[in-house]
Amino acid sequence: MADELLIRNGVVYDPINGVKGEKKDICIRDGKVVDSVTNPKVIDAEGRVVMPGGVDIHAHIAGGKVNAGRIMRPEDERKGVEPKTKVCRAQSGYSVPNTFATGYRYARMGYTFVMEAAMPPLAARHTHEEMIDIPILDNAALPLIDNNWMTMEYVKSGDMDLLAAYMAWIIKATKGFGVKIVNPGGTEAWAWGKNCDLNDSVPYFDVTPAEIIKGLAVANEKFDMPHSIHVHTNMLGHPGNFEVTKDTYDLVKGVKASKDRQVIHTTHTQFHSYGGTNWGNFESKADAIADYINQNDHATIDIGSVILGDTTTMTADGPMEYSLYQITGRKWTNHDVELETGSGITPFLYSGKVSVHTIQWAIGQELALLVKDPWKVALTTDHPNAGPFIGYPIIISHLMSKKRRDESAEDMHKAIFDRAALPSIDREYDLNEIAIITRGMTAKALGLHEHGKGHLGVGADADVAIYDMSPEERDAGKIQKAFLNTKYTIKAGEIVVKDGEVVATPPGRTIFVTPECDDKLTDEMMVTLKDKFAKYYSVTLNNYPVQDAYLPNPYEIKAPWRS
Amino acid sequence: MQTITLKLKEAVRSGIAAVPVEVDALTPDQLFGKNEAELKAVKVWWGNREENTGDLFDVSVEGDAGNAEEVKIVFEGDLTRVKRIGDGMKAGEIEARGDVDMRCGAMMEGGKIVVKGNANCWAGREMRGGELIIEGDAEDNLCAMYRGEDKGMTGGKVTVNGNAGELVGQYMAGGEILIKGNADRLAGLNMRGGKITIESDAQWPGSDMTGGEIVVKGETEMTPSFKFVETATVDGVEYKKYLGDLAMGEKKAKGTLHVK
Amino acid sequence: MVEITDVVCSLCGCVCDDIVLEVENNKVVKVKRGACSVGKSKLLGHERIKSPMIRENGELKECSYDEAIKKSAEILYKSRRPLLYGWSSTVCEADKVGVELTEDLGAVMDNTASVCHGPSVLAIQDVGLPSCTLGEVKNRADLVIYWGANPAQAHANHMKRYSYVSKGYWTAEGKKGKKLVVVDVRKTMTAKMADVFVQVEQGQDYPVFSALRAILQGHEDVVPDKVGGVPKEQLLELANMVKEAKFVMTFFGMGVTHTGARHNNIVNAIQFTRAAHLHTKASIMPLRGHYNVAGINQVCTWETGFPFAIEMARGYAWYNPGELSATDLLYRGDCDAAMIIASDPGAHFPGESLKHLAKIPVIQIDPYANPTTEFADVVIPVAVSGIEAEGNVYRMDNIPIRLRKILDTDYLPDEEILERILTEVRALREKEGE
Ligand code: SF4
Ligand SMILES: [Zn+2]
Repeated sequence: MADELLIRNGVVYDPINGVKGEKKDICIRDGKVVDSVTNPKVIDAEGRVVMPGGVDIHAHIAGGKVNAGRIMRPEDERKGVEPKTKVCRAQSGYSVPNTFATGYRYARMGYTFVMEAAMPPLAARHTHEEMIDIPILDNAALPLIDNNWMTMEYVKSGDMDLLAAYMAWIIKATKGFGVKIVNPGGTEAWAWGKNCDLNDSVPYFDVTPAEIIKGLAVANEKFDMPHSIHVHTNMLGHPGNFEVTKDTYDLVKGVKASKDRQVIHTTHTQFHSYGGTNWGNFESKADAIADYINQNDHATIDIGSVILGDTTTMTADGPMEYSLYQITGRKWTNHDVELETGSGITPFLYSGKVSVHTIQWAIGQELALLVKDPWKVALTTDHPNAGPFIGYPIIISHLMSKKRRDESAEDMHKAIFDRAALPSIDREYDLNEIAIITRGMTAKALGLHEHGKGHLGVGADADVAIYDMSPEERDAGKIQKAFLNTKYTIKAGEIVVKDGEVVATPPGRTIFVTPECDDKLTDEMMVTLKDKFAKYYSVTLNNYPVQDAYLPNPYEIKAPWRS
Repeated sequence: MQTITLKLKEAVRSGIAAVPVEVDALTPDQLFGKNEAELKAVKVWWGNREENTGDLFDVSVEGDAGNAEEVKIVFEGDLTRVKRIGDGMKAGEIEARGDVDMRCGAMMEGGKIVVKGNANCWAGREMRGGELIIEGDAEDNLCAMYRGEDKGMTGGKVTVNGNAGELVGQYMAGGEILIKGNADRLAGLNMRGGKITIESDAQWPGSDMTGGEIVVKGETEMTPSFKFVETATVDGVEYKKYLGDLAMGEKKAKGTLHVK
Repeated sequence: MVEITDVVCSLCGCVCDDIVLEVENNKVVKVKRGACSVGKSKLLGHERIKSPMIRENGELKECSYDEAIKKSAEILYKSRRPLLYGWSSTVCEADKVGVELTEDLGAVMDNTASVCHGPSVLAIQDVGLPSCTLGEVKNRADLVIYWGANPAQAHANHMKRYSYVSKGYWTAEGKKGKKLVVVDVRKTMTAKMADVFVQVEQGQDYPVFSALRAILQGHEDVVPDKVGGVPKEQLLELANMVKEAKFVMTFFGMGVTHTGARHNNIVNAIQFTRAAHLHTKASIMPLRGHYNVAGINQVCTWETGFPFAIEMARGYAWYNPGELSATDLLYRGDCDAAMIIASDPGAHFPGESLKHLAKIPVIQIDPYANPTTEFADVVIPVAVSGIEAEGNVYRMDNIPIRLRKILDTDYLPDEEILERILTEVRALREKEGE
């Protein structure tokens, strides 16, 4: 007998299909949304908010640097301990939860897909090993392709086809999803203790970060890639960096997308929307970034909104983490990866009593509120950099309630009133817009709406979140509570959360992209790559690609060559 | 005043192994208001199983208490494998008649613990308030932080009549520790506040300290990164006063070390 | 005869992966390239435990896998505080089942890190670890420091493949363009190759690091004439070498993790590396012993939040080395059963700890007989990971590499044995109706 489920009478928000809060039934059979069902188990969602499963476009949940964060912080791990239950494994951690807690806590918020935002190619197996251990969530990972020597050499020689061949090879070898760029050139420079601004020359490589970004955007669009380049721009966290961010958008303005989507997604844009010239005159430039996004259609952003409190910062941007550690003097881990990338990790406390943190806190929300079209903006905290993902409901409640924002601002540093715009913004998000920035937009920007994610149309994955709130609810506290623990979360047609408790833990799938590159080009590229392995890598070429064993539940997306 | 006497049954210690009993559930604030039957039914962890207090201890109760402050718990019997005595305790008094196992008085917030013997490692770990008196020796990590934390003891008072092991008061941020005997290596490591007094000898005290004060009255083997400031008098006795630890860089070297 | 390339050695933390060997009739007949002598010897094969065994009346008697697994499950299920120890010489897939078994039993789980680089982990938890992959060292390092480590003897391929002797992008000249400093209590084989040898008094590494840090921080004035037996001039010389180098790499070994201030030596070594960053680029890395000791730390951390020395009696992990390390537990007589997998405490633990091991029921899971077998009540032989079974391991720089299966075998892999024990334990619980 077919496995059927009927979600009856919920108030459905399915923005991709233009459904804005309509009372509607959702029919499910064998893990997919269907037209009708015959003998279903019925869930009564009368008067409750129903949305597609959440799709997180950017979080650090698995891999070497996440785990280095855990190893380094037993004090964080002990904060989130919960004993095993009949269905759940033991949980640990607050800002860097263990793999099991990661799956459970996302599912409890109604999320069913998370993109691991930075996978060092040489350590890709590690990312996949952890993703296997994250229950419930479908997942994918973005390999870092920008500080790679191969990339920089092809950018320098100007051979975009060979660059595309290398990009394709790396994505295939790592079972990755797309192109991640993190402080291009800067991380290579950091291997010598230096950093790079957008137009600086990368030491020894004679290319600029600007050229790398442009080159990879061009290479990416040579294929039908579901996602655009995904960029953590240069100079993260530096006062005045908003100019760098805008210049980065301009770099790729002329590049034509191979599909109906953006050509660049900049991530945790909060960290890249800073004005001023030092920490003393530091100010929000979210308005300038939002203006740019409003006036142009080739770029999307996620906000990287700050959650006040202690967290663990971690990024492939090694020099940034070093500067942060220099400010705090706290523990600091760094891990440079040969020929490819690096990473840094340091704990950080965001305090509402500190002017800079307060302004940062405002900027993330300003970006969401000042960008007019919610299809251009995604909700993230760059988990765990600006705060752990379990803070999403806090941000949702702020975006939906001006009153809530004013109350929060009252307790914070006064700088929020003269060096940020947030207190002067009246806009409040409605539930449809929340559904856009947490599932519709993110699925589209990742191209996953074509693969059943982020919507509830017939044929979609039966990933559904039912929130225990009425669409009329205006109380920010109640909204926050409802978004933290669903009434039901359904994953591929199976009830995984009920009344805020995890009741089933099926394994998630790993979605990977196969860019299809011409054999001749690949062969030519391989000559150079083989030489790199023979001389400079510390592993052999044959032991490098991720074996099939690391993807027990694979889902492949083919990306044909376009030009 | 109420006295609850908990005597560990010999049977608990008679197996092939000495599996520790953890008594963090048996503090005055948690036991206040319970009658004898209820006391005996309080669950404590013994290895991977929870047992009734009454099955592991002989329980007797004398007198009445109007609040937790008036509750005194006396632990008797072989306590060398009884862990977490007074862990997280907020009020009242505990007397442990013998050597106690690890984490005695850890996370303590208030009240008083007297150990009539030696205390194993991590006594007073992350202590916040109250008083802990150890009449014998204290092993390593007395009043230290938990692994990875950058704050250890923040308040309260601890006295050790005997010697203390390594890493006394690591990352200490407040409160007072008095060691009447010697302190092994690295007392006050990473200390940032509060005061440690060592009446006998110490090796490498105050390394990486950024605040607080350490006084060593006996012999001191110093690390090489402290700066001599002046000769100073503390409680009528002359000491050499050093500032440090300069290994942390000048800006942070705000700790004071008084040695003979 | 077939030649197999890219074979990965499953012996030490170097995890060399470019080994070429020849196989004939399901036997390695020749190791042609890539392996050092100990690696070679492992690949060529040693005598194996023939069959599962259970001890009866003091004698180990051969039995079936089923019987041995059942007996193991009974021992573990009955135990009030089982210790599951070892884990560093098997693959991550097995380690994962180990964590699940630990959770299911409410057991204590510890790995060999607690007797080798556990102190390094504790240090990382205090100050972090500025480090890099071994390829970075090979391509960039122009100053290599070995502190309390003697790779010339203990990690034969280390210097050749990854550090002082290797050639890379900016180090095409190999050792010609580099400087080697060795700090140790005696003039080891490695020290004999060094440009500068710094001889520290036993147990005095800690103040030497403090002095170097003070110098790098600009406070050489407070440093006395001699620290830990090292003259101040030599400390100044070393600090200058650090300042002048472009990429400083420090490797440290057990000579510094287990003497004097122990894990705080490593805290100080890392602090020294942090201070070096005021002048140049610097990294530091423990020279790890067993091929997958880094891996069990990784697995244990992403699954429980903590790298080793955990207890799950209450259904969640409590972490505290010094309280929950295998040596502590055995020394104190705190556990009433033990499962030893892929390690040999019988050869490496102090006598006092072994006395307790002799008292309690012990299960051993290993391809080879070793001194621990003497203590075992149940012995379960397994396939050799990296030769007869595949799986993931982490090199000492935390790079994941997949071990290959080269030969066929009837021995079951660790993972399967553990899964079957777990299934049996669950069946016992079901039967008891808990
Ligand atoms: S150095 Fe280690 S990994 Fe390499 S061959 Fe020798 S034993 Fe094996
Ligand atoms: Zn990120």
